[in-house]
Amino acid sequence: MSQVFHEIEKKIILSLRENPKQSPEMLEKFTQLSPDQIRRGIEWLKLKNLVNVDESKLSIISLGKNGIESFQKGLPERRLLNLLKNGPRKLSELQKELGTVFGPSMGLARKNNWVEASSENVLIKNLPLELPGEKTLKQIGEKKLPINEIDNNDLAPLLKRPDFIVEDILKYKKITLTDSAKSIVISDSSGEIDVEAKVPDVFIARTHPLKDTIDEIREIFVTLGFSEIIGNMTQSSFWNFDALFTPQDHPARELQDTFYLDSISAKKIATPQQIRKVSDSHKKNWRYHWDINEARKMVLRTHTTCVTIKYLAENKSDESRVFSLGRVFRNEKVSYKHLVEFNQIEGVVVGKDANLRNLMGIQREFYKRIGITKIKFWPTFFPYTEPSLQTMVYNERLGKWIELFGMGIFRPEVTKPLGITKPVLAWGGGIERIAMLKYGLDDVREFYNNNLNWLRSTTKCQ
Amino acid sequence: MPVVELSYARIQKLVGKVTKKQISDSLPFLGLDIESEDKDLVRIEYSPNRPDYSTDFGIALGLQGLLGIKTGAVKLKIKKSNKYQISVKSEVSKIRPFVTGIVAKNGNIDNKILEQLIQMQEDLHMGIGRKRTKSSIGIHDLDKISFPLMYTTTSRNTKFIPLKSTQENTISEILEQTDVGKDYGYILSNSTKVPIITDSIGNIISLPPIINAAITTVTTKTKNLFVEVTGINKYDAEDMLSVVATILESAGFTLESVKISGAKNSSPKLDQKKMSVSIFLINQILGLNLNTSKILSSLKKSRLDASSKGKNIICTIPAYRFDIFGPMDLVEEVALGYGIQNLDPTLTSSRTIGQINPVSLQLKSLNQIMIGLGYLEALNSSLTSKRVLYDMTNRDSTKLISVLDSKSQEHTILRDSILPGLLENLSRNIHESYPQKMFETGTVFTINDPISEKISFSSISAHKDANFTEIKSILQSALKIGFGITIETKTTSHPTFEAGHCATVNLNGKSIGVIGKIDSKIVENYKIRVPVVGFEMSLSESIL
Repeated sequence: MSQVFHEIEKKIILSLRENPKQSPEMLEKFTQLSPDQIRRGIEWLKLKNLVNVDESKLSIISLGKNGIESFQKGLPERRLLNLLKNGPRKLSELQKELGTVFGPSMGLARKNNWVEASSENVLIKNLPLELPGEKTLKQIGEKKLPINEIDNNDLAPLLKRPDFIVEDILKYKKITLTDSAKSIVISDSSGEIDVEAKVPDVFIARTHPLKDTIDEIREIFVTLGFSEIIGNMTQSSFWNFDALFTPQDHPARELQDTFYLDSISAKKIATPQQIRKVSDSHKKNWRYHWDINEARKMVLRTHTTCVTIKYLAENKSDESRVFSLGRVFRNEKVSYKHLVEFNQIEGVVVGKDANLRNLMGIQREFYKRIGITKIKFWPTFFPYTEPSLQTMVYNERLGKWIELFGMGIFRPEVTKPLGITKPVLAWGGGIERIAMLKYGLDDVREFYNNNLNWLRSTTKCQ
Repeated sequence: MPVVELSYARIQKLVGKVTKKQISDSLPFLGLDIESEDKDLVRIEYSPNRPDYSTDFGIALGLQGLLGIKTGAVKLKIKKSNKYQISVKSEVSKIRPFVTGIVAKNGNIDNKILEQLIQMQEDLHMGIGRKRTKSSIGIHDLDKISFPLMYTTTSRNTKFIPLKSTQENTISEILEQTDVGKDYGYILSNSTKVPIITDSIGNIISLPPIINAAITTVTTKTKNLFVEVTGINKYDAEDMLSVVATILESAGFTLESVKISGAKNSSPKLDQKKMSVSIFLINQILGLNLNTSKILSSLKKSRLDASSKGKNIICTIPAYRFDIFGPMDLVEEVALGYGIQNLDPTLTSSRTIGQINPVSLQLKSLNQIMIGLGYLEALNSSLTSKRVLYDMTNRDSTKLISVLDSKSQEHTILRDSILPGLLENLSRNIHESYPQKMFETGTVFTINDPISEKISFSSISAHKDANFTEIKSILQSALKIGFGITIETKTTSHPTFEAGHCATVNLNGKSIGVIGKIDSKIVENYKIRVPVVGFEMSLSESIL
């Protein structure tokens, strides 16, 4: 089968077939393409695994300031020897004519036995045809050369001299065709395009990833026979705490855990009978002075349980499955694992089957549907349920057990004062935690940063 | 949740015949979470309703039961004694009316036990003591005290040497200068006089609920202890005492009674209480069919005593288990003794039909439409800041709803509008490619006897050609196709929008929102380099 190529790719492949190993510069020359076209073409072909690009380094040798001077005038020792060609000369004269290079060149000449010196005169002892380094000096002086084209032994004496030799590192590429490219058939029909080429991403519009998890959880519970109820995020302390048997002096009700609305209280919180019965239950069981003004204080709900308990108090049905889902608030320092505002789901079951094993069964089914099968239940404590359990789920990525939903059966101290006579199963927990597991996030804040890069690139969870 | 650090080796010694693994496997089934482990040390998180788990003695009692090593209720053996008496003067009635106490003799106190006693005392103070307001404990060296004692009041000028000090101070100084005085002094602030316990030779031994005297300091050399609890009601004080008494007895002390009289006070009984629960309720709630003997053995594993009487189980509950309010608590005790791991989850088919709330359905439908129009869904907090909500957008902040004592500056004000949050989002994405188009639906809050919550819908579009027509088209089409609603726009002015590019969104002649081009100054302040258009409208007043 033939393959479609871009015009640039075609030219490069054909040129390499003729001349199997080329630098980009050579390709430019042979294909008449611009340097940028060559660069892109090589990149495309590399991605398709059709060319190999071997990068190597080469050091290029040329002359420095002193080297150039010597190239023009001869090496200092050659100049010395030239002065002595016609017979011995006086030391002082030589010194005058050669200047600063007299010392070093004299030293070298004596060391090599080219000259002999008395206290006043210098004369040639043995005149060499070519001095060490002279050949190389001539070569480099005419043209820069790569190091591999130079006699290293002859270069060595020059390298020792200051500012004599300059070494440049040159990076160069050699492009060759891969084996598959050698045999590939290039389609030559015009009008075809490369349908296998890379194309840019476009940004899709989408629901928020956390919303996807919320929707998924909502639908699971609906299919398990639960109906969704909605309630306010601002609640009186009565429904958020008192109705749930949390005494008014309980630490959870303090400002440092719960958000109270600044100087806002509810006038009407519940029916007179509900207020009387709830306060009686508190006085009898917790033995303290119950204050209705505490119950009137408005808070940002700390759980969605206030919504479900209010619903149950208003609809005393014998058989019911409802859930509520929404934002809850805690006065905490924001960190990678804590938010002040997060989503919670809370569900209740009233009816004949309302027992602990069924409660565990509903949880197990829910976890199974979101793909969590390794779970266990541990006893725990909540002020408004008895017995109370928590689910632990095993997370493979983190390699540990994580606490997810809490659950239990509403205490009679909660249900009786509100006229609820049947046992009520209740369960609930944070949704962000589940979403973090699903999206593999370690920082819960990411959900609320609205970082477009993340929103645009995160894969939708199914 | 309180945490206690314990040694496995010590627990093993206390429980008897048990491996370290058995302990770590069993702790969660007592309702205790292992927070971390380091060789022999284990940090255990326990629920505040079980203060007996604040020491290894208490945890060992629980483990013995669960593992079947020792079951049934722990009985307090209190030797009757007339040697130890406290008389209560009526002056304390208006400040801190009740005192109770017990003597514990012939124990060995090593550093580990001393540390745990202090920890237990602190946890009791924080938990059932409600930061010492309801009740508080003092533990003393019995041998430094001359009985009988008197619980009375004194003036704030009275002097004594407080715990951890060598210097005599007035009570006023103690309340003003020591850490505990500063933390808890307010509990006594309603009266000029303060409660004290003095002994028969006139030594002050305690200033409840603040501090003990130095003279009765407990050290590793102490053999005999005197424990007093004061409080605002007798029951809470005795509950607290029962925990301390049970732990001290488990630690090897022998208990002797303290006689208390005067001003409506009486000696503590620390009696077990009886409570009945029906076999039917147990099986109904747990979804099991346990026979009587299984129920009895399960309760005993939870360190309660139980016997059957017809269709009921009669439980005997030690005084320190004041977390047990009624029959439902006993059902849980059966479940714990039976073992939560032995409960098999079941799923019965539902007899109800599930339904998504109509509001959620409408919002989901709107979401789909906005996505179809190329808008990305954003999510912002309802609790935000004055800067984002009002200052950056020039909006009027006179009716803001703020929360008290937020730990985060970014979360102090409840939003009454969604649009400012979206603008803030744009400002944090100026390095990302344009066009940037986002929308959000969510609850907004306004003061209205006390608070009205409405669902709002906002969108923004930012790119070099963004203009009024574009955003109006988006809103108009979304509402028409999605909900069959036709809106109109009427010229208006709004501090967030550019003059001459701003309109109200009207439905049936009533304004339900605002639409337009965001004021260029605001866009500039946010360092956004392209024009921004947007709208916000109430869904509660249109489609919901």
